Amino acid sequence: MTSPLPAIDARNLTLTLGEAGSAVDVLRGIDLTVPQGQTLALLGPSGSGKSSLMAVLTGLERATSGQLTVAGADFSAMDEDALATARRGRIGVVLQAFHLLPTMTALENVMTPLELAGMPDARARAEAELAAVGLGHRLAHYPAQLSGGEQQRVAIARALAPRPPLVFADEPTGNLDAATGAGIVDLLFARRAEAGATLIIITHDPALAERCERVVTLADGRIARDTTTT
Amino acid sequence: MIGWTAAWTIARRDLSARFRGLRLLLVCLFLGVGALAAIGTLTGAIGKELSTRGRAILGGDVEVSVWQRSATDAERAAFARQGQVSGGYRMQAMARAGDLAAPVELKAVDSAWPLVDRLTLKDGRSVGAPAEGEVWIAQGAADRLGVGPGAALSIGTLTLKVGGIIADEPDRLSEGFALGPVVIAHQDAPAKAGLTAPGAMYRAKYRIALTASADPEQVVGSLKQQFPSSGFELRTRDRAAPGAERFVARMGDFLILVGLAALVIAGIGIGGGVSSYLEARRGAVATLKVLGATSGDIARIYLLQIAAAAVAGSVAGLAAGVLVTPLLAKALGQLLPVASGFTLDPWALLRAALFGLLVATVFAAPPLLAARRFPAMALFRARVAPLASRWRDAVLPVALGVAGIVALSLIGSRQPEMVLGFLGGAAALLLLLGGLGWTIRALAVRLPRPEQPLLRIALSNLHRPGAQTGALVTALGFGLAAFVLLAAIQTSLDANIQSRVPQRAPDYFVLDVPRDRADEFRQTVEREAPGATVRTVPALRGSILAYGPAEQMIRVSEMKEIPENAWPLRGERGLTYSADIPEGNVITAGQWWPKDYSGEPLVSIDERLADVLDLKVGDQLTIGLLGVERTAKIASFRRIDWDSLGFNYVFVFSPNALADAPHNLAAMIDLPKDTQRGGMLRTLVRNFPSSSVIEVGGVLTQARDLLRQVSLAILAAASVAVLAGIAVLLGAIAAARASRTYDNVILRVLGASRRQLLGLQLAEYGLLAAVLAGVALALGTGTAWLVVVKLFEFDWLPNWPIVFATLGMGLALVIVFALAASLPLLRAKPARALREL
Repeated sequence: MTSPLPAIDARNLTLTLGEAGSAVDVLRGIDLTVPQGQTLALLGPSGSGKSSLMAVLTGLERATSGQLTVAGADFSAMDEDALATARRGRIGVVLQAFHLLPTMTALENVMTPLELAGMPDARARAEAELAAVGLGHRLAHYPAQLSGGEQQRVAIARALAPRPPLVFADEPTGNLDAATGAGIVDLLFARRAEAGATLIIITHDPALAERCERVVTLADGRIARDTTTT
Repeated sequence: MIGWTAAWTIARRDLSARFRGLRLLLVCLFLGVGALAAIGTLTGAIGKELSTRGRAILGGDVEVSVWQRSATDAERAAFARQGQVSGGYRMQAMARAGDLAAPVELKAVDSAWPLVDRLTLKDGRSVGAPAEGEVWIAQGAADRLGVGPGAALSIGTLTLKVGGIIADEPDRLSEGFALGPVVIAHQDAPAKAGLTAPGAMYRAKYRIALTASADPEQVVGSLKQQFPSSGFELRTRDRAAPGAERFVARMGDFLILVGLAALVIAGIGIGGGVSSYLEARRGAVATLKVLGATSGDIARIYLLQIAAAAVAGSVAGLAAGVLVTPLLAKALGQLLPVASGFTLDPWALLRAALFGLLVATVFAAPPLLAARRFPAMALFRARVAPLASRWRDAVLPVALGVAGIVALSLIGSRQPEMVLGFLGGAAALLLLLGGLGWTIRALAVRLPRPEQPLLRIALSNLHRPGAQTGALVTALGFGLAAFVLLAAIQTSLDANIQSRVPQRAPDYFVLDVPRDRADEFRQTVEREAPGATVRTVPALRGSILAYGPAEQMIRVSEMKEIPENAWPLRGERGLTYSADIPEGNVITAGQWWPKDYSGEPLVSIDERLADVLDLKVGDQLTIGLLGVERTAKIASFRRIDWDSLGFNYVFVFSPNALADAPHNLAAMIDLPKDTQRGGMLRTLVRNFPSSSVIEVGGVLTQARDLLRQVSLAILAAASVAVLAGIAVLLGAIAAARASRTYDNVILRVLGASRRQLLGLQLAEYGLLAAVLAGVALALGTGTAWLVVVKLFEFDWLPNWPIVFATLGMGLALVIVFALAASLPLLRAKPARALREL
């Protein structure tokens, strides 16, 4: 069941990169409303604007124009630091290349967003989250001491530990073999279900997209198709 | 924004326990702060010793000394009115024991000596003046004469018993340079030994311990007023050892410059180190931003990391500075006026630490403030070009840091102009090198693309986005300049030691040859060493009382300040008279007087002093000689070859001006080659007991040793700056290597051989080094010239082939470092290297 207030409400979003003369229109008028608790796949060929849309929706990049409300916060009116503050505890991000902090252990990586959000019991919550992704025995390991699949599990734990209502995953299996990738997707969906969060996955993989309730296909910076699978 | 505690939690977690990535910052601060701590501690300890122990060093509150006479009854009475008085004599003498003879400094003291402190003997006794017929002797005299306590020695015609060997003489430092170890005797000894006959070269000294309320300066003023033509040299406890203070001040200035230079170079290293560290943390910054960190959080987290490394480097530097001070004091050895052991000077340490932190602020603020703007999007778009630097953000912290450095440099500085000049010069150099880096980049953009692919890449590496050209130019410029600086200073100092201490000098100087026995003296020398040449000159002492045009002469006692380089106006100077122009002198203005001249008394003066005092031929000069004023007309100026070790007098009078005053002669003896020397010394000492015979060879060795020690001290201090330079050089190369790793791996994947990649490095660094060699040469020699000529007043005599060879070595070192830094990457398999990217 979804609540009346959408997790994401985007109106006519555009994103133009580069200087005048060599400017590229990456997003050209995106209208997208995502209800809370929905799972959504963003499909599209390379260069279609998937990652850029995710960057804008997560507040990592400001749209050039348009209106964007995420979890009730007006992202289009915020500067970079306000966007960072708004992300805390609200948005979790899982990246294709994991991007764990190499100088920190698995536990410390997961604790960091909790501490940035000023949440209490950061250590206990991080330990519990790592145990939930099956890495309770790897708490003190550094990223370099973990396999690719394990690193991505840490990244999922890190994204979900603050219990964000909105989770983004950018090609979460792109750097993994098929078997490991499947396990990671299962885990991601399972953890999302437990948390009741909205999940947006960016992928090339139609099979992965099929697992989502809704599939939005991008082409040339526009929404080419928007289908509901269930 | 997160709080400081949370920021520290994340910062500490992200910081390598061994400060990986921040080691250049750590090393640079360690060197810079360590150098300043050691310098501050050492000069502080010496300054404190000189000022707090001034009374003990002087042996009283006021010292009055006068040449060739004792104080008159009226003068003594004036001294006694001021407080307790101790009087005595100082003179050069020969001491004999059996067949052995040695020149000594005879110090005759009355029973009140010492007014402050006590003399300590080696046997542990704490004593005052020796009893009549007894002497305390320095260890050097005991060694040279082969005598110990209880033995007898002779001085002049007097035989004395050694009462003890001196361990610590309280007023040694204020006695100044002596041509032999000290022998302390009873006040009456010189007269009984026949050493104070009229004309003999001796000095009477009176120390006054003032009543508690009296002001030494007022007493000095009053004595000057009461006895204007007495020829008194007056000193107060505040300037107990002016020679030592001058040396310490000059060395202190140099050391402060070395410290500041080390800090500026360290600052470049800090800037480079912080910049490359944050560049390497770009991914972490982006990840933290993805996780919700604001730019303020990023600034806090990395500020704390940098501060932790800075504090660690500074604390280690402070500890090293304190520990190295006794070693530095030992290296400076006898150059230091006082022994300096292990000391803690909180102000010096605080100052060094503050300097370190301020320099770290100035150089670390720009990259730190730029890093907080690293975009989170860096994770999504592969390597992006570095952000355009937002230099405005850094203006405030940099300006505050610079203001702090300037203020801290000026606190307690004796030469604020020099310090400001140096800081201004350093800033100008940084701008110059920055401009050069920009120019090289701009030129590389505009040059036509070479057809040879590696050359093309080497050229584009100089200007591509993220190129380290600016940092490399600054680091290589300073690093190579440091090599040149060291070579130029060292070769100049070596050449000075060679040229300043004459290679050919007389074999003996003899003081106090009685005038009426001059012929007998010559005959004795001729008999002992046939073919020896003997030159004698009349030797008198007198002070300059007034000079200038006859109608408006300037009185020295009324001058507020003695002009720079007018040292002959201070105290008494050696005077002589001669019918002929002294050997080696050239008349540059006026005329020499004719033989048998008998008119108005005339004088010929050193042209340099004439220039300093603005004297003209025809002006007058009034001297105080044995308490009597004599005035002579200036007849000529002379150019004197000061480097020749002969009789060089600033003031030479016409014979009729001085010949009637009681005086003795000074003599120089040149022996024919292969003459046995021992016999001459013994014969002269036996036949002329009141004369002092000085073997020049020993004095020259002493002078060379002293200069070598000065040279060693200067080089040791300058090495700190060079070490910092090398650290910066290595850091810059390492940072540049990190940014090349990606390119090199890709080039290898594309089929470039190791040799080709090495060639690429060689081309790039060779190009930069070639451009910077000229800059480094100008920079290094310019600074070396300032140190050698302006600061230490030595001659500028660098050995250019060695300077060029050292620069060549520095260039080779740069290339070797650069190539060596690439080797691990070149050895790795491309696939493995790709995984590690």
